[in-house]
Amino acid sequence: MTAILAGVDTGGTFTDLVLFQEGKLRVHKVFSTPHDPSQAILEGLQELGALPRLRTLVHGSTVATNAVLEGKGARTGLITTAGFRDVLEIGRQTRPSLYNLRVQKVPPLVPRARRVEVVERLNERGEVLIPLDEGSLEEALATLAREEVEAVAVVLLFSFANPAHERRVAEAARQRGWYVSASAEVLPEFREYERTSTLVLNAYVGPLIDRYLGQLEQALPAGTGLRIMQSNGGSISSAMARREAARTLLSGPAAGVVGARFVARASGIERLIALDIGGTSTDVSLVEGAITETTDGRIGGHPTKLPMIDIHTVGAGGGSLAWFDLGGALRVGPRSAGAVPGPAAYGRGGTEATVTDAHVVLGRLLPDAFLGGSRRLDVVQARQAVGRIAARLGASLEEAALGIVRIANANMEAAIRLISVERGLDPRHFTLVAFGGAGPLHACELAASLSIPRVLVPAAPGVLSALGMLVADVLKDYVRTLMLPIDQEQAQATVEEALLALEEQGRADLLAEGFAGERIQIERYLDLRYVGQSYELTIPFGGDCARAAQQFHLAHERRFGYSDPNEPVQVVNVRLKARGLVEPPVLERQPLQPEAVVQPLERRQVIFAGEAGPVAHEAAIYERSALVPGVQFVGPAIVTQYDTTTVVPPGWRARVDAVGNLLIELAGDGPAGVQQLQQQRRQPAQAASAQLAEEGSHVW
Amino acid sequence: MVDAISLEIFRSALTAIAEEMGAVLMRSSYSPNIKERRDFSCALFDARGRLVAQAAHIPVHLGSMPDSVAEALVAFDHFAPGDIIALNDPFLGGTHLPDITLIAPIFVEVEEEQRLIGFAANRAHHADVGGMAPGSMPLATEIYQEGLIIPPLKLWEAGQPNRALLALLLRNVRTPDERRGDLAAQVAANRTAARRLQELVDRWGLAALEEHVEALIDYAARMARATIAAIPDGCYRFTDYLDDDGVTGEGIPIAVTVTVRGSELTVDFTGSAPQVRGNVNTVASVARSATYYVVRCLMPEDAPMNHGTFAPVTVIAPRGSVVNARPPAAVAQGNVETSQRLVDAIFGALAQALPEVVPAASQGTMNNIAAGGIDPRTQQPFAYYETMGGGMGARPGLDGLSGVHTHMSNTLNTPVEAFEYAYPMRVTRYALRDGSGGAGQARGGDGLVREIRFEAPAEVTLLTERRRLPPYGLQGGEPGRCGENWLYRRDGEVTLLPGKVHFRAEPGDRLVIASPGGGGWGQAPAPALAAAEGA
Repeated sequence: MTAILAGVDTGGTFTDLVLFQEGKLRVHKVFSTPHDPSQAILEGLQELGALPRLRTLVHGSTVATNAVLEGKGARTGLITTAGFRDVLEIGRQTRPSLYNLRVQKVPPLVPRARRVEVVERLNERGEVLIPLDEGSLEEALATLAREEVEAVAVVLLFSFANPAHERRVAEAARQRGWYVSASAEVLPEFREYERTSTLVLNAYVGPLIDRYLGQLEQALPAGTGLRIMQSNGGSISSAMARREAARTLLSGPAAGVVGARFVARASGIERLIALDIGGTSTDVSLVEGAITETTDGRIGGHPTKLPMIDIHTVGAGGGSLAWFDLGGALRVGPRSAGAVPGPAAYGRGGTEATVTDAHVVLGRLLPDAFLGGSRRLDVVQARQAVGRIAARLGASLEEAALGIVRIANANMEAAIRLISVERGLDPRHFTLVAFGGAGPLHACELAASLSIPRVLVPAAPGVLSALGMLVADVLKDYVRTLMLPIDQEQAQATVEEALLALEEQGRADLLAEGFAGERIQIERYLDLRYVGQSYELTIPFGGDCARAAQQFHLAHERRFGYSDPNEPVQVVNVRLKARGLVEPPVLERQPLQPEAVVQPLERRQVIFAGEAGPVAHEAAIYERSALVPGVQFVGPAIVTQYDTTTVVPPGWRARVDAVGNLLIELAGDGPAGVQQLQQQRRQPAQAASAQLAEEGSHVW
Repeated sequence: MVDAISLEIFRSALTAIAEEMGAVLMRSSYSPNIKERRDFSCALFDARGRLVAQAAHIPVHLGSMPDSVAEALVAFDHFAPGDIIALNDPFLGGTHLPDITLIAPIFVEVEEEQRLIGFAANRAHHADVGGMAPGSMPLATEIYQEGLIIPPLKLWEAGQPNRALLALLLRNVRTPDERRGDLAAQVAANRTAARRLQELVDRWGLAALEEHVEALIDYAARMARATIAAIPDGCYRFTDYLDDDGVTGEGIPIAVTVTVRGSELTVDFTGSAPQVRGNVNTVASVARSATYYVVRCLMPEDAPMNHGTFAPVTVIAPRGSVVNARPPAAVAQGNVETSQRLVDAIFGALAQALPEVVPAASQGTMNNIAAGGIDPRTQQPFAYYETMGGGMGARPGLDGLSGVHTHMSNTLNTPVEAFEYAYPMRVTRYALRDGSGGAGQARGGDGLVREIRFEAPAEVTLLTERRRLPPYGLQGGEPGRCGENWLYRRDGEVTLLPGKVHFRAEPGDRLVIASPGGGGWGQAPAPALAAAEGA
């Protein structure tokens, strides 16, 4: 009887559970219970018989995210330096769109009446210009008390250089019994608007998360460890998450990327692009050994500077609507049919054509195998909806359907290019890991247009986020703004000193999480830029500032196409990650059965793009559960499973590896389909890049 | 073959290239105007110099990027791979001197032959290009005082940098290292475009690209015609005024007649003031930019931006007038201030045709602040330039936004903490300016107040508008409040500064800039309270 580790992802409709026990993974899905999410969690665990032996539960939910998106967070107050309470509302003084006469800004989470000021001021070195005025503090707190706030964010100018004033203010606010969050504790980093926005988010969702997790802790059997997924792809203890709730804001998508990396690694793949296509949007993220992170995140229009997995989202998914614009061009998305009425094929009253309807018309989504056959797709409705687009195009039904898919693909392709090509990375060196309801439907065609040689569809693509939670390390991020020239005499010492302080804090925090010694891994980084620039590149710090500067020049070259080793470099921030290494489950490897032959369930007509228009192919239909390790087959084929459908176009070859991943690659030899796909992309784009490399790195 | 599907695919591919150029430029440049405030534009042109795609970066460049390429085509009859043409001459394809445009001919390899298929161009506002004051936006009376003038010249020739030109250029500016970095970023942006276009041709073939460019131009023109056709036919007139030119104190009329006939629209600036001594003059391309901006606002948000977009639009800007000045007129402010007033005038006219669409006047200025001197912390020179948001005009049934950049600009502010690291100055207050928006059924947005304390001596230039003549309200809405510039000397002396002024600040002096509010829209339900006096 071994202990059980569980990952639980609570979504709007389903609660996904993945258990790891005795070397085996088990997967389960139950309906969510939005009024009390813990109900579904307990029910799912019960059904799996996991409750008695549950050791650790890693959990991610959309509670915090939804609170922000729906404006249902705590009644929050903000305390700032005198003269700056409007910074939160002014933001960066821009309007969100240039040419929209009716443009609107997202209103701040804290309205004017609950933004109060204290008299104090520091300079950029943290020296006190105006001492904290206790009278103004009392007054500020009295105002917030009158406003009946529940949570308070404290953000004073330059508090990262000297947190004394902020600490005093936070302490006084805590005495009032509020949920208090001070910026030097959560994000000691310069740029006051983004810091304020982050801290306000933290205060806004804090009390909710605090209550929610408190209840969940109570509901779980005594002694169960509860860890919470964060947006950075790591987990933290429930206790920590209750204090720094904003770190959990985008945990679901982040866990999906962690899950994708985990399954890809099991197949020996380190460089991957995670592709998650859902009903309304497509999330893409790049993993090159390490997961790519960003500190320029936004949620519901509010910036957050806390590190998170860099996930790029575009409004293109299965439910995206096809429409004609004023100039007569066919467009797809970003408007979506949503869950209600949904695509026309759902038969719930939707009449406008969606990407899903196009797939139905093309024969790629089988009407009787949707959600394990529990719901039938309405082919007639789908054909009618796509037919209306076809009529306006003056094209056949199939041409219109292919067109809708191609446009959706173009949007998704642009998203992948943005995180790869545009950052100086060549997609030809990556594997596309497809998941979400529609990822495996589009993956091969996207791979073809981006020259990505291989697609991986995990065994359980519908629960990848829950799996990601299960395998995530415990991860704490720390930052501190320094702002000093890297070649300055005392730079090395200052950087080391700052990182040492962060490391002490990191080790202490991880000790509290139950990690010590070799199970703690410390990663150090410097945020560097050329003196005078405004954007930093994060460079791993091996202990030597000069070396970091060299690496910065190279990174700048790769990212922006030029560098100048003679330009002075500035250390903006030091960053540190303290990682508590979790013993990850090892996916069971099954012996390959090279002779295994799988018989298609049936053959059906499926339409693909040919040189002169749509061509119907006789495609083999497989059920995923029948595809045992070692099985190989060629496209055109469709693989169905409970919550996704995989399209293997003509010219592609698929095989199932020892851990159950479906690997699809362009067949080497030349069936007609390969030529057709190659036709589409002619030559890989080497010429220009090679030429550019010759031009040399230095512009002058 | 072009169809509604491939059209969309090419549209997004070409726009993405222009957007990516911008991302490269913004993230790797040095001038605050480029990196923090996105005062730049990126565009692609075909071999004939027709605009193919332009990213939504800054409206004031809408009409003027094609002029740059046109002048390059006039200046040179031969291009080679690896050429880059630089220019900033307002009278030869530029706008004002700080805006330096870099144009790269794009050659792609087709059947082992290098073929010129078009141009990539980007324009960026450099923090300093020399001239009589730091920031190169002085209160000048002729262009020679405003900075170094660059006619179309090859900064790179066949892959080799023109070091003599670069040396001359850098010797004439205050912060040469920054300029070199910014130009490098601009070159990188154009190279990015070249690479992406080569990929596009590799993938789809040159014939398909050319075919789709034609189709996209037609498509944009169709969209524009459909937009204009929805405006009632007629002749609509309006006159708005600039406060002054900074030399004489008189209001400067901007008169406009907008004529809509079917799907064609003409904007005629006849009747506007003759060109003036101060630097509020504009070149004709700025008048076109303002017009195109207004038309663009009436189109769907994601409408394509190319040669076809403005095919049905005609702009008449009389030579020698303030909207089409002749050399050696000073033009630094034309781009930033006059362009805003042109928009106000055109919208004012169109409000008669589209009363339920057109908003009341927005702040109508960019509140330019420039300061320079020596930073005592480093003993290095510093040059600061920034613009400030204000109140947006109320929209029919919808309040104007507060504290944002409006119309021809959308640049970011400098964070207070970044500002104090960079300059020997402190921001002591940054707030919304309560009650500055005009009353009405829908309220104008409020302006901003930014208070700066000088820690070292500095030469300061303010170029601000709507200090005397307020942004108008519409359909019975009240005007927004005028902006105000106050100087609090260390010794207690307090001065209300003119809108356009140069002065020397001493340590301990404080400058308070209060930006204008937007105009109101519609009669206010209750009698509007008279706006209180003072900032």
